[in-house]
Amino acid sequence: MVETDTLIRRLAHEAAAVRRLPPPHRRVLGWLMVGLPVIAFFAAVMGARPDLPVRLREPAFLIPLLAALATAVCAARAAFASCVPGSARWWLWLPALPFALWLGSLGRQCVQQWLTYGPDGIVFRPDPACLPIIAMVGAVPAIAMITMVRRGAPFTPRLTAFLGALAAAALAYVGLRLVHPQDAAFMVLVWQFGSVAVFATVLGAAGRWLLAWRNAAAV
Amino acid sequence: MPETDGRDDHPEWSRLMAAAQDGDRAAYERLLREITPLLRRVAARRLDQAAAADVEDVVQDVLLSVHTVRHTYEPRRPFLPWLMAIQRHRMADWQRRSVRRGRHELAVDSLEETFSDRAANTEGGDTDERREVRAAVATLPPAQRQALELLKLRELSLKEAAERTGMSETALKVATHRGMKGLRALLGRNREHG
Repeated sequence: MVETDTLIRRLAHEAAAVRRLPPPHRRVLGWLMVGLPVIAFFAAVMGARPDLPVRLREPAFLIPLLAALATAVCAARAAFASCVPGSARWWLWLPALPFALWLGSLGRQCVQQWLTYGPDGIVFRPDPACLPIIAMVGAVPAIAMITMVRRGAPFTPRLTAFLGALAAAALAYVGLRLVHPQDAAFMVLVWQFGSVAVFATVLGAAGRWLLAWRNAAAV
Repeated sequence: MPETDGRDDHPEWSRLMAAAQDGDRAAYERLLREITPLLRRVAARRLDQAAAADVEDVVQDVLLSVHTVRHTYEPRRPFLPWLMAIQRHRMADWQRRSVRRGRHELAVDSLEETFSDRAANTEGGDTDERREVRAAVATLPPAQRQALELLKLRELSLKEAAERTGMSETALKVATHRGMKGLRALLGRNREHG
């Protein structure tokens, strides 16, 4: 085994100047500058749903949409904080509130439809295209996120990957809602929100592989 | 991750780290030398079952991690919480590794009686075979010996061994392969002669 003294000498000898990591809020802005154009491009190519101007005035549509956007921003902030040693732990909980609002508003709509129309009010049919669309639209923001967090210290790779994937998928959900004319609350909850959950969980599970601890490159 | 309270109990270390980030090697070496006793103390206290060599293992892991992620330090923030967060993660990794290693080892109490068979009476346990293997390992070139020790005996991963030795992972693989081949040849030859 190398002596600690020798190791210190070697590390110091090889230590070149490094580019400091920008503050997390600047990194969030940088990530949004990649992610938002992708969503805008997707909406432009697919064509915004025809009733979008009307729907944007309805709280039932707008609240989950804004909550998803806030989840994306907060999850990105949390992901960046999770790979800076010594960051306050509460940053990791930042996305919990908008996420709860997002899930809660969709759940509330399901309950309201059930109470108003009974079991017939709950529409459910297969719409499996949501998952590939979320994955496809979320891929670029997810790749950008993984690339950015790899510059940090991935001490909690699964959590970091989960938060980063949640941010990317939440952004993709926003894009999907602008394009896909699907408004039955249960359908949105199962297929669109469900796709976000699957995407984030799968990438989170692959966190150790995606964010493997890098060698001390110069050593 | 501890909350940082904005106070910096070691402004000198913050300054040295900021200088190190700008490429000041002397400042970096001084910083690493100054933090090492603290890392050693903390590791020894938290890993109270660990041997001195294991504590040194952890200290080296932390130093390597500090080196790898030194760009994540923000000079306006206190240095110590940043350093301690790294050490805490590294100690947790060491403990996980230690548990994993423990699963592959079997603790056997010393037996009071042995079989009457000659092979079981080894007088202190140093069998001819062990002596033979040790002698064969000692004849290997240093790089191969080190690779075998780290990868086969200490069960470090390739990455960890590469960090320790400064050798590339490929070089380690080659050294291990050659070392094993050399051992096989040496032991085979000894058997034939014996």
